[in-house]
Formats: sequence, C-alpha cells, structure tokens
Amino acid sequence: MKRLILGLFLAWAALSARAGNLPALWAERVKSVVAVDYFTETEAERHLSTAYGVAIDDKGTIILPAAAVDARTSPNQLKDFHVYLPGDPAGRPCNYLGQDAVTGWHFVRTDAATASLIVPITKWAAPGGNPVPALAERVWGIGLRNKDEDFTPYFLTSQLALIQALPQQTGIAQQEVAGPGLPVFNEDGVFVGLAASSFGQTFLQLTRTDRDGTPIMLIDLEESSAFVLADEVLPNLGRVPANVFGRPLAWLGAYGLEAMDRDVANFLKLSNQSGAVISEVLEDSPAEQAGMKSHDIILALDGKTLPRFRPDGVVTDYVEREIERHRPGDVMTFTVLRGQDRIDLKARLGDEPKLAREAASKYFEHLGLTIREFVYADAIARRVKTSEGTGVVVSYVRANNPAATSGLEADDWIKEIDGTAIRSFADAAVKLAAIAADPTRTEFVLLVSRGADTTVLRVKLR
Amino acid sequence: MKLAIVKHSSVRSITGACALAAVQLLRPAPALGAAASLSAGFRQVLDSVVRIDVREIAFDAGAQRFEASIGSGVVLTPDGLVLTNAHVVSPQAIEVNVTLANLERVDAKLIGWDHWTDLALLRLDMNDVKRRHLKFAHASFGDSDKLFPGETVYAVGTPYGLNRTVTRGIISNTNRYFEDDQGVNGYETGAFNTWLQTDAAINPGNSGGPLVTEDGRVVGITSRGYLGANNLGFAIPSNTAQRIVAGLERDGEITRSYIGIVPKELQDLESFYALALDTGMLIDSVDPGSPAARAGLKGGDIVLALNGRPIDGRFPEQLPPIQNAIASQQVGSALLLTVKSGPETRQVSVVTERLESSMGEEWALDRWGLTVRKISRTFARSNQLTDDTGVIVLGVQPGFPADVAGLQPGDIVTSVNRQPITSLDVIKGAHRNYSGKPAPTLLEVERDRRATFFLIKP
Repeated sequence: MKRLILGLFLAWAALSARAGNLPALWAERVKSVVAVDYFTETEAERHLSTAYGVAIDDKGTIILPAAAVDARTSPNQLKDFHVYLPGDPAGRPCNYLGQDAVTGWHFVRTDAATASLIVPITKWAAPGGNPVPALAERVWGIGLRNKDEDFTPYFLTSQLALIQALPQQTGIAQQEVAGPGLPVFNEDGVFVGLAASSFGQTFLQLTRTDRDGTPIMLIDLEESSAFVLADEVLPNLGRVPANVFGRPLAWLGAYGLEAMDRDVANFLKLSNQSGAVISEVLEDSPAEQAGMKSHDIILALDGKTLPRFRPDGVVTDYVEREIERHRPGDVMTFTVLRGQDRIDLKARLGDEPKLAREAASKYFEHLGLTIREFVYADAIARRVKTSEGTGVVVSYVRANNPAATSGLEADDWIKEIDGTAIRSFADAAVKLAAIAADPTRTEFVLLVSRGADTTVLRVKLR
Repeated sequence: MKLAIVKHSSVRSITGACALAAVQLLRPAPALGAAASLSAGFRQVLDSVVRIDVREIAFDAGAQRFEASIGSGVVLTPDGLVLTNAHVVSPQAIEVNVTLANLERVDAKLIGWDHWTDLALLRLDMNDVKRRHLKFAHASFGDSDKLFPGETVYAVGTPYGLNRTVTRGIISNTNRYFEDDQGVNGYETGAFNTWLQTDAAINPGNSGGPLVTEDGRVVGITSRGYLGANNLGFAIPSNTAQRIVAGLERDGEITRSYIGIVPKELQDLESFYALALDTGMLIDSVDPGSPAARAGLKGGDIVLALNGRPIDGRFPEQLPPIQNAIASQQVGSALLLTVKSGPETRQVSVVTERLESSMGEEWALDRWGLTVRKISRTFARSNQLTDDTGVIVLGVQPGFPADVAGLQPGDIVTSVNRQPITSLDVIKGAHRNYSGKPAPTLLEVERDRRATFFLIKP
C-alpha cells in the first residue's frame, strides 16, 4: 500500500513538473547555452561571425556546430573569440581549440571565471541512458536573439515528426525547436538532442511579373527543426581536439566517394544495402597501398555491410565518419566490388597530408599577393605527381595592385620567378621579399600554371 | 565585346528578297580606260557571288535537330567550285543549296573544309547545271599582300537574307591577329593566319562572301565582325584562301603538323630574356603529352629559330605566320628548334604529329534521348584527362531514359555495361542492342572528377 501511494505521488510529481515547471526548467537550462563571436582576418578585411554553442564541462569548454566556421578558413586567421551569456552584453574572451573531424564540432574554452557561470549540458542528461523522443512527443529548446538584443534567450517548442539516420540519428520536429547548435529537451527537462543546421525549405516566389512563380529554397540561420539525438552527442563530448588543426586525422586517400542511386544498386544486386564508389585512388595513399582501384565500390567496413540510407547520398558521410573515428595506424578492412568480384582489402590508415589551411603562407603587400606552400591536395587538384609539386600557390591577389594588373589570379601555381624554378615555399618567399625590398626594381617575371596551361606574366612594379 | 560570326540563321526575313536582285548579265570586259575596266571587272565579280542556304544537323539538345541558315559564297571556276566560310558549310551540312546571280538554284556538295582558316570549298552539281544550261560567272583572286590600309574595298553577300547586297569601306588593317578556340561552330580558328580588317558594313549573312577591290578582284572572304561595334569586320586574306582552296581541291582537307607549343608575343620582354632586338618567340605554354612536352620544352622558353631560320615573334600578328611555318612541316618529320632556356641555348629536335581539333565526332542516341561527342586526344590533353576514353554528353532530352537516369550535359560517360568507351562505336553498339531489345544499361560517368553510375531503364 505504501509503495502504491509512493508510486502515485511520484506520478503526480512528474505530471506537475511537466505541466507547471517548464519556465523553471527553462531558466536552469538556459545556463548551458552561449553565443560566440570571432573575427576572420584576411589580407584585406576583418569579418565578424556569430555562432551558438553549448557548455560541455565545468572547465568552460563549449562546442559550436560545424557551420560556425568556414571550412576553407585557416585557424591562423581566426581571431578574438568572445563568449556571451544569454541576456548579458559583456563579451568574455575565450580560446579556439580546433575542430573534431567526426562530429564536425568546433571547440572553444572560456576562462575559469566564466566557466563558473555556465552549466554543462551533461547535467541535463538522463542518468539511465538517453531517452529517444517518441513520435508526436513534445520537445522544446532555446533560441537566442541577436547581439543587439544581448543574445536574449527565448523559448521554442514543437513535436517530434520523424527520426532519420543522416547518418547520425536525427530528430525532425514539426517546427523550429532551437537555435542551431543549441540543446533540445523533453518535457521533463531531459536533454534529448542538439539542434543541427536547419534544412532548406522550398517556397514558390511570385511577383507581379512572374505569376507562375519561381521555386526558391530558404534556409533559416536562426532556428532549426532538426536535432541530432543525445546518443550521438553525449558519447562524443570527450573529442576535444589536441590542437587547432584537429590532428591527428586518419586518412585513407580514396578521393571523391559517390553514392549510387537505388536503380543502380538494384542492378548490381545490392538492394538492401549501400555502396560508395571511389572516384580516384590517390597517389601513395593507404588506399593505393591496400590495392584499391578507382571505380571500386565500397560495400562493407570491417565486415559490416554499409546500411541503406534515405537519401542515398548520406552513405558517403557515413563512410568518411567511420574512417575519421579511427586513428592513423589503425587497420580497416574494406570490402569492395570490382567488376563481378568482391574483394577484401586491408588498409593501414595514414595521417592526412598537410592541408591547405595548415600550409605556410605569406602576404607581400607591396606586390599585392599572398603565396602559400604547395600541399598534397594541390597536386591532386592539378593532377600532377606530388614529386612534381614544386613552386607555390597564389592564395590571394589584391585588386588594382601590381600582381593583379599583370593578370595573376588566385589559385595560380607559381613555378618560376624571374626564370628560376621555385623549389620550396621558403625559396619563393626569399625571392619575393628581395624583389619587394629592392627600390630599383621595375618589374619581375612569373611563370604560372593554370589548368593544363602555363603562362608567362610580367609584373610591373612602378 | 564579342567577335561573332556573321552567318544569318533567321529564315523569316528573306521572303521578297528576289525583288532586290537585279541581275547583270555577264559581258566580256572591253579593253577600255581605267575607270571603265574597273566597272567591268566589278560587274563580273557581282555575278559570281552566290547565296547559300544550308540545312545542317545539330546534336546539342539530346536529339538530332535540323537547323537552317543562310550565308554567301563566290564562284571560283567555270567547273563550279564555290568558296565560302567553314562556319557556313561544315561536314554537319546535309543540304546545301546555292542561288546563282541569275536567281537559278542548284545543289552543291562540300568538297572539304578548314575551320582553322574558316574556309569551305563546294562544288555545284554540274550535271544539273549542264542539264538546265545554267550560266554563272566566276571571280578571280587579287593579291592580298598588296593591300594597304585606306584602300577602298567592297563586301558582297546576303546580309539578313538580302540577296546581293554590296557595301563599301576601306581596308582598316591588313594584318589583324585574332584567334578563338571555339570560333567556328565550336572548332578552333585563327592560329595560322591573320585577317583583313575592314569597315565595309558586314552583317549576319555576309559570311563567305567576297571582299573585292575596285577592279573586281577577290582579296578576302568575309568571315566575322564585332557585335555591337561600328563596322569592325574581318576577312580571310585571298593569299591564304588560295593556298587553302588548292589544298582542299586536291585532298579534301588540310593536313597540318603539330608540336604542342602555345606562343605569346615577346613585346618588351627582350631585355628580360637578354635577347637581341626582333628575335625569338616566347613559349607561353606547352600542351601536356605533346611532342614539345616530351622534348622537354616548357613555358618561359624562347624559340630563336626553326630549322635554322631565325624567327621574330615580338607582336601578336607575327605569331600566326610562325605557327603556320610549323604547321606546314610534313607530319612526322623532325623539326629543329633553337631554344633559349634561361641563360643556355640548345638545339631541340621535335617530331611533329598531325594536328587534331579538340572537337570529336558527335552522335545522337535517340532511344535514350542523349547526344554525345567523342573525347578527342586533344580534348583529353587540354582537360588533363587520363586518356581519350569516353564521350561528353552534349544534351539530354527531358523525360527520356538518359534524363530520368540523371545524366547532365558536360558529363563524361566512360563505360557502358562496364565496357570502356574507346570509340563511338562502343556506345552506338550498346544503344543498338537497347533499341532491339530494351534492357537496363549501366553507364559509368565522370562529373567534376567524381565517378558515378547511372542506369538507363526501358
């Protein structure tokens, strides 16, 4: 009897929490969210970006969604990170820690004083395993207004409409349920997921002159109806990058993975699974050493068949994430379809070759250009052997300056300066610095490569 | 501003044009004073100008289509040779109909074309001419090297379908450089010749008509003009045309040698390269895989001499004659280049190849709603493809199997049912099998360097 009464009391308590305490739950959970802004510095400008984040520990570590930083930007260009508590105009300095390759999250960390003011999201996790919201279950989340409104938090709510593997298990609510990168809770205040970038929605645009309408896709940057479920979030919170470049990065070297559509899969008798076509096997890569060939179709990873996804295109993300979960040196078995044969290939993953965003670069203001170290990806993009990868890449040309006037373009590959072959980045930097420093210089000549062609450019200095 | 070919392809505006065509019968030129003889020669050339109506196949929209267009031409010989532009009559033409000065119409056949100089040579159906006792005059060439800027010239042709229109202008420049990678129906033009520039009014439909001096000598073949500009017209010089006509009449085609260098004018760079004045041609680029590339030539090298003969490539208009000298070598012969590379000068022997266009043969795969062009060796090289396997998709017809499968223009189809497309016959064969007995057909496609499979379904 006592037990029954206790049970009834608990049920009543839970119900009243659902009905009455939402504002209280909301007020507590708002302490887990922040806004972050930072500058991207380039040769010519400083550009401010804003993102939303969630605190993940009591050291002041915050995760931001992948889209918070442009993937082409070098971490060296990211400056002056500040974190803002909801409703508080004070910007508090924080450090950028880097991006995790599996989740795509960017990590930043505040100082200890700020850390003491925010509450990690883990506090709102269910102790006995992460609940998956049921269809039509009410879920709610937090949105943040803009900077001029002090990032004031506000309440959003909706009902779960669908769960899809994209490839992470993703809940899709009927309407916007949180700002991208901000948490989603159930009615008990338990953390059920992290809002992802919103999906584009197609609208028909009608105008006075165009009465048939033009379909346009709109993407909401402030609120999202999609959220990655807690099970995909909480186990990954420990993936804090060891450095701003997110190294080490596991690398296979199978370039351009492409999904197959259903018709093709059925034709190849792969009805209940996915396959990923390898477009090119890169030079000297683990994939090449494992014996992979271009146009092989990956069917299974470590004996695990690639599951079917909707849409089919998700499989490439799936394979890439599975590779990134490993560390350089790990061995993975890839089952591939080549013609009619299924072949198991063992690849020892390598460390990703230096990326363009990690490459050394130098801006010559007087000449109006920035040069960047030639990296592995440049050789791939230009279809040359990495051993032929001498020279430097032009990463920026300032308009109306000598380099631009000569016809030099960003992405040109400088092979010679003044008729002398460039052997290394340092070599090019020394030569250009000498040219820039010489007041008697009136011109210099570059041999640049552009696509399959080269061209000789004459840069007039004065 | 775009330099456009001046072929007229609007058929609507030509009705009633006959009223404009006052036919002047041909009379033997009496030996009179200068002014009178000019006039006689001029009348004769007027009577040798013809209008050309062409129907040709186009493959760009996922199906074979027929396009009609109008151009001009000039009769060269009593046995019915007619010279016009390559962009007026190409091998895609299936029907060529010539309207003579006396308004009689007669069919003609393409003898050969040369897109590089934008010239095509036709032969009138002489059996028909004889049977109907048709009469026509023929023109003779003048010496285009003797032209001088300011000299009066006349353009004769069919602008906008207006038969036998004569416009007058002067030679604006005798030696204009103009090159276009896709200037003649997508084919390359202008690398081996310079052009006459004139301010005689040239409009769409003038193409292929003669540019004549006051004595009625053909000194150029009108080819193109700047769109939207005031009378900037270009013509192929007669001295180039005579050479091409002889070659086309003899062989049906012009064979040229290729070594794979892209030249650039040296203009002011002599001191940088420590060259004597008026010497040398700068190599801007070397085509990957070409004979020059295999011989170790590279961009930034200077060619000082060809087979021991010094060359001067200081200005852009000096480049086509040098290119032509290379092209005129026997295919497969060794060409000795004196090359300055940095401080050192060396002799490099390059064995020439036959020059090929980057345009491959085109075809329509009707049942799939797919039109394709074979990848040529030249296209593969300039696009850094591994080899010339495959066809490029030119067009897909909405709702047809290729469209439903997801193919797009620009895709490169590399295999069909896992068989590499080494020639157009491979994909034609697969299409023929499909037409006989429709069955799912697997296409392997490269799009932006990414490999994808598509399934053509009945």
